Amino acid sequence: MLLKTSLRSFVAHKGRMVLSLIAIVLSVAFVSGTLVFSNTATSTFDKLFASTASDIQISQAPAKKDAGAGQGGPSAKTLTVPASAVQQIAAQPGVKSAQGDISVVDATLVNPKTKKQAGPVSGAPTIVGSWTPGPRSPMKITSGAAPAGAQQAMLDADTAKKAKLGLGDPIEVIDALGTYTYTVSGIATFTGTNPGAALVFLDVPTAQHDLLGQSDVYTSIAAFGDGSVSNDQLKSEALGALGSGYQVKTAAEQQADGSKGIGSVLDFMKYVMLGFAGVSLLVGGFLIINTFSMLVAQRTREIGLLRALGGSRGQVNGSVLIEALVLAVVGSTIGMLAGLGLAQLLIGLMKLVGMNISSSLEFTATVPIASYTVGIVITVVSAIIPAFRASRVAPMAALRDHGTPSEGASNKVRVIIGLVLTLGGAGLLVAGGLASKAGTGGSLLGLGVPFTLIGFVVLGPLLATGLIRLLGGFLPKLFGPAGKLAQRNAMRNPRRTGATAAALMIGLALVTGAAVVTSSMVSSTNSQIEKQVGADYLAFANRTGITPAMVAAAQKASGIDHITEEKYLPATFTTPDGKTTEAEVAAESSTFAGDFHFPVSSGSPQDAITGGGISVDETFAKDHGLKLGDKLAIDYGKGRTQSLPVAVITSKGSQIFDGHFYTGLETVTQVVPADQQPVDRAFYGMAAAGADKGKTYQALQDALIDYPQVTVKDQEGLKQLFQANVNVLLYLVYGLLGLAILVAVLGVINTLALSVVERTREIGLMRAIGISRRQLRRMIRLESVVIAVFGAVLGTGLGLAWGVTAQQVLRNSGLDTLTIPVVTIIGVLLASAVIGLLAAVVPAFRASRMNVLDAIATG
Amino acid sequence: MTTASAAVQTSENPGGPSANAAAARQVTKAYGQGETRVTALDAVDVDIQRGRFTAIMGPSGSGKSTLMHCLAGLDSVTDGRIWIGDTEITGLRDKQLTQLRRDKIGFIFQAFNLLPTLNALENITLPMDIAGRKPDQAWLDQVVDTVGLADRLKHRPTQLSGGQQQRVAVARALAARPEIIFGDEPTGNLDSRSGAEVLTFLRRSVDELAQTIVMVTHDPVAAGYADRVLFLADGSIVDEMNSPTADSVLERMRRFDGKRTS
Repeated sequence: MLLKTSLRSFVAHKGRMVLSLIAIVLSVAFVSGTLVFSNTATSTFDKLFASTASDIQISQAPAKKDAGAGQGGPSAKTLTVPASAVQQIAAQPGVKSAQGDISVVDATLVNPKTKKQAGPVSGAPTIVGSWTPGPRSPMKITSGAAPAGAQQAMLDADTAKKAKLGLGDPIEVIDALGTYTYTVSGIATFTGTNPGAALVFLDVPTAQHDLLGQSDVYTSIAAFGDGSVSNDQLKSEALGALGSGYQVKTAAEQQADGSKGIGSVLDFMKYVMLGFAGVSLLVGGFLIINTFSMLVAQRTREIGLLRALGGSRGQVNGSVLIEALVLAVVGSTIGMLAGLGLAQLLIGLMKLVGMNISSSLEFTATVPIASYTVGIVITVVSAIIPAFRASRVAPMAALRDHGTPSEGASNKVRVIIGLVLTLGGAGLLVAGGLASKAGTGGSLLGLGVPFTLIGFVVLGPLLATGLIRLLGGFLPKLFGPAGKLAQRNAMRNPRRTGATAAALMIGLALVTGAAVVTSSMVSSTNSQIEKQVGADYLAFANRTGITPAMVAAAQKASGIDHITEEKYLPATFTTPDGKTTEAEVAAESSTFAGDFHFPVSSGSPQDAITGGGISVDETFAKDHGLKLGDKLAIDYGKGRTQSLPVAVITSKGSQIFDGHFYTGLETVTQVVPADQQPVDRAFYGMAAAGADKGKTYQALQDALIDYPQVTVKDQEGLKQLFQANVNVLLYLVYGLLGLAILVAVLGVINTLALSVVERTREIGLMRAIGISRRQLRRMIRLESVVIAVFGAVLGTGLGLAWGVTAQQVLRNSGLDTLTIPVVTIIGVLLASAVIGLLAAVVPAFRASRMNVLDAIATG
Repeated sequence: MTTASAAVQTSENPGGPSANAAAARQVTKAYGQGETRVTALDAVDVDIQRGRFTAIMGPSGSGKSTLMHCLAGLDSVTDGRIWIGDTEITGLRDKQLTQLRRDKIGFIFQAFNLLPTLNALENITLPMDIAGRKPDQAWLDQVVDTVGLADRLKHRPTQLSGGQQQRVAVARALAARPEIIFGDEPTGNLDSRSGAEVLTFLRRSVDELAQTIVMVTHDPVAAGYADRVLFLADGSIVDEMNSPTADSVLERMRRFDGKRTS
């Protein structure tokens, strides 16, 4: 019986449920979409790696953990295994076959016709290697022939298609050894999924010569067992046979490595998506609370009747919760299905950045479980408070009253809880901002954010009365009676106004906080670039590093005074306190000390770069009790060690110098011979005295035209580059904001629509005594704007507090300049007013079309 | 703001503007079409004389509320013409009707006369606020004084009794000096003592302030306060009585009921 009442009520109010439904659908769609997408992607790549991995793979053990071969960083020399090792492995018992493979990721593929890179510029790598198809090769030749001889190369089909290259076309491969031109001899196609990389194949001798500069070496050995022993056993035998200096990976380990590499990209997507899901859940929760509060308020009489006829509190509770449950199930189902579409969309998006994921979606049991759990939990939890409020309605009061239940005793409790949370949270924020250690400050900030947020939500209804009186103070003056009525209406149900505004508040608090942090990041970095970078130009090639040929070309550019090279070498530092640290040594040409203005705490930069010393940052010095002159023992691996005195300590708060150890290239060369050094990470250029900086910049770019993988920037460009990186982050935040606002707007529409229905008689009365439709619409629009601006003011206030605290926490970690993005904040406030206007369109129209007589006659 | 009413002087009020505050000629109001057509008002002619208190009586469904709604421009008519003062209101657009109601008409409803968000004084001055006019302070004081609300002006409607709320409604209707005030069972929700209070104020506003009032009621006692009673049945005016008393109205109602049942 109760179920029937609930279901009927649900159907009767379906119009009012629509907006809540949208909120649930949005949240669930993000959850289900994320799951389906990551399941599909993971299974695609798991299958790929599982089917192509050799039983064991042998390569040289990297000298340092963080600089293994094949990781793509230009910081280390490519590691090789000698040809003799292949024979050794092949001779092992249980090994059916073993072959040497060559593949490098630090080469660039260029289409000489366009002078542009033919491989992917970001995301998946360009892999140049030997064509040594094993029994589990994922590719087969679909046109032309395998490469043979020093002039031929084979491309993968996807790259060929994208770069419009065909058989017989020339291609260029640029690596540390030089620039090589080949003719496309064949096209190979992936039999399964192409993970998005560009692949170039050469024959083995050519690959050895052009990529490794040595004959009879490989980058890895792939061995296949005859099935008599396990892969683990093959691994231990191989390790035993080859001795130390090698690492051996079983098929399972290779698969895990491969999935991990892809996984980091996918994980990022996953977290972004879950962020969206979280925001829409959080904001949607308020919408649901509001909808049910209003439904309950409107049904006070009905509930009173139920109670008068003997319905228990539990039954009243139950009837509201069953309605919520029906809503949740409907919403979750639609959301889950919408999630499939979202996953398909993401797969399409990944294809655009070059990652091909199977388009047959992987729909596992976790998808419906997670979708329904999320949908039902959020809806039912949101509906519980209104449900309990409903069951507290006294039978007779309900029959008498037709208005909303009054608020009384709970206000005091609310004030106390709200104040405790807000003040506690504010205290945490202040303590966080003042904390000397970024770590402590960060955790205090992390605690303060939810405390202040919940505190504001709890206090929202109380703030509504005061703040709206203030914010709306000009409304009566400016808009006459419509303004006055709008202001009063916005204040008449503070709990509702508070909850409606809270949805908007959350979104705006997040975006304001993020905007403060990011704009402080930009301004801090800009000022540091201005203060600390003296060099006019900077060049780098993220994937491949800077080769000597590029440096030579740059040096010839007219107007260039000198080029400073920078290499990074992985090393283990041993400080006098006996502790060891894994880090990279930055080895610089002697001109570095002049190109950069060290933020000196003590010592002399010149001594670090040209005097055989090293620079450390203040934090490192403090942590290890280092003074100028203390010796650091540096181990580059393979017995190459040196001991360098601390020549300069850089003051903290610099993004350029914190965490870096600068020394001279000559100093490093004393123990690491030039032929063992990696390519340059970057180089810096200085214009000659009197040279036109703009013209020199152009000349430098022209000089490097043959190397499309090199990015050249001047100081301004460097700032823009950083800003562009920050903007990516900001766009993400804006995306979150957009979603939060969308759901919040639904909430405002919801509140207004229900308010209009509730105030039918009032509206009728006003129309009867002569308020015009225009004035009525204006009244509702203004009420909406007031609610929206109220939410925005709370949100930006909260966001500012968070952002400023975050900047203070990070003041010694490079975020030394606080910038409040005033324009953004004003924009956000103005936008919130517009949001209010938009949200009011439909409710205002409906109110103004209301029939006066019906309105008077109602109830 | 009052130009609209002046602009639409299509033809003269048949009774002459000086004598009639409102007039209706052959007003018909029907709902539905064909066989389901229901006639609420059937070719009604009415003249509401200026400065007098007119009551409209009739049993439920007689069309008395419909007549009042049509006279007040709250409802459209199917046929016929209606004037408020010099202005013919049949055929006016919503915007003009709204202005007319605002500037020339006062309303007192049975219940829910006041906006809960405004205090008593704000409710009283609302029609003038809407019109953007400044209330005439002396007149306002006199009205407030007449209805005896001087010490309740800052109270919200929820803090007032039912009788007080209706008196605020009367004050609001009077304050803007409308051409005519329409009351839709203004005492229907009140006990007899509060009802008598409100009716006394209405009577005084006619006698002392020269206000024109039209009141729909089914209560003979209320009708006894009027100068003239119109009896409505089945959408037509069937009788009229001048200077009624509660008893004479009751008597006429009984006769009328008897006539109907015979």
